[in-house]
Amino acid sequence: MSTNKLLSLRDAVARFSADGMQYASGAALPVGSDAIAFGRELLRQKRVRLHALFHCNSQQLNLLAAAGAVDRAECGFSGLEVFGFANGLRRAVESGRLALEDYSNLSMALRFLGGAMNWPFVPATVNVGSDIAWRSAFAPDVYPAEEKIPAVTDPFTGKKLGALISLKPELAAIHVTLSDPEGNAIMIGTEWSRFELSRAAKKLVLVADHIVDPACARQYPNLVRIPGVLVDAVVWQPFAAWPQSSPGAYDIDEAHMRLMNEELATEEGTARYVEKFVTKTASLDDYLAAIGAETVERLQKSSTSFLLDPYRKWIKTREEVETLVAQNALKGDE
Amino acid sequence: MSANLPTTRQEMMAIATGREIRDGELAIFGVGLSMLAGYFAQACHAPNVRSITEGGVFGATPVGGLPWGIECNRISSNAVSFTNAIDALGFLVASGRCDVGVIGAAQVDKFGNVNTTGIWGREIGQSYAPPKTRLTGAGGANDIASGARRFVIMANHEKKRFVDKVEYISSPGYLDGGDARERLGLIGGGPSAIITTLGILRPHPETKEFELSAWFSFSNVDEIRASTGWDLKVAKDASQVPDATEIELLALREVDKTGMLRKK
Repeated sequence: MSTNKLLSLRDAVARFSADGMQYASGAALPVGSDAIAFGRELLRQKRVRLHALFHCNSQQLNLLAAAGAVDRAECGFSGLEVFGFANGLRRAVESGRLALEDYSNLSMALRFLGGAMNWPFVPATVNVGSDIAWRSAFAPDVYPAEEKIPAVTDPFTGKKLGALISLKPELAAIHVTLSDPEGNAIMIGTEWSRFELSRAAKKLVLVADHIVDPACARQYPNLVRIPGVLVDAVVWQPFAAWPQSSPGAYDIDEAHMRLMNEELATEEGTARYVEKFVTKTASLDDYLAAIGAETVERLQKSSTSFLLDPYRKWIKTREEVETLVAQNALKGDE
Repeated sequence: MSANLPTTRQEMMAIATGREIRDGELAIFGVGLSMLAGYFAQACHAPNVRSITEGGVFGATPVGGLPWGIECNRISSNAVSFTNAIDALGFLVASGRCDVGVIGAAQVDKFGNVNTTGIWGREIGQSYAPPKTRLTGAGGANDIASGARRFVIMANHEKKRFVDKVEYISSPGYLDGGDARERLGLIGGGPSAIITTLGILRPHPETKEFELSAWFSFSNVDEIRASTGWDLKVAKDASQVPDATEIELLALREVDKTGMLRKK
């Protein structure tokens, strides 16, 4: 028998998140699949002073930063690729409200690897020689910031390398395309750093576009890169990455990507955005209505849809998933 | 043959960058302009280029226009393998195995150091205050600049971008010149060219200071020097870049279906 770890989005955030915690997003970032829905719920539950660990920015970090929920962030890339600068994050950094500690895309992944291995640091041949190594937003008055990426000596050759400090996030919310109720998960598309992050995080919540029958993992065990033994909870949230894309499931919502980033550029716009697309989208029906029925249909007609075909026969219906979620509902809830 | 179709400066920059990529090379492209240049090369003269993206998308060709990102569905529709960042940026790039990378720059200096982190409008100084304008950070460009055998920098040629010394080194070029990279132990060979909207700069073999190597038919030495924030030397063998051929331009426009390079 497999264990049922399905929780509602609200219950998962209530149970596993806390103010001031190190919160990591596992995703194909910056504009690919990310558990953005988890970030919306963090805001609905008014989490503050988060220390965000994202290998790259996404609309989730952009939103959390714009809304003032993040004090400290560490990431490699802090833009939105072809959509431009991340206005919410940018505003928070420029005002001094958020300290953004810069690394590179590889060094963030290596730091999660170090955490997963329980190594204190990872020797690096990247970031050295650049201001990533010499400047620290967490120690702004120390220059050069020699404690950020200190030099270590290779004991075999005597050569100098940079030491990247390992990361063990208190919580990671990882977006996956498919998970069974136990948390055996398949990611379609690039993993980025989700494999090592799933092993580095102290608590792990999966946010899945689809819930599948346990037989799915047994058919494709090589593709289950996050097995259930690592997972504390599974959340089912269709369009969890919206307005970003999830290969096989749905395309990027270009219009909303632009609208969201424009709104996050100002305090007033952020308040409008939060009101309309965070506060009022707590239920799945309201969330899907906010995306719009026509858009939902259009985004699902992706050039990548064929990638989901092998798994479709195992996808559980809304009723089946909701029955499983109800079995685990926190006491005192409806 | 000169193209009958008018070529924008951005298109010429993409074509000149694509010409730097040779058939069969293991190549890593960032998003946007550098991806267009890379896939143009593949469509035109380098059909066997082995392309990867930072997140570990292997063997894919974009569909439906320029991808929004390096993990976008437009580049996930015909891949042969999806892996991860440690694989792509680590095993294949930081290791020294990747032949060529293409990166962008908000600011670049005479030693090919790249700033994509922030604009302070001054020297940062002892205390690291927030920038006036926060940019995108290093992303994977630092890893490419550190590890790739060589890399090409693409940048719009404007005086404010081509500076004597970048305010922040996001991705290392030749640092303070000469053998600074070797002394530091960086694995990759450094930037082989800066391709701009006006021409091509290449490093002096010893000093590693970038010099004007070539101009486009629509630009000239005076314009390029006037658009550069350091006293740009002109290489002895500097010459004009051959215009885009019709074949090249058609190949580029096939890749740039959404016309990103033709916008004003």
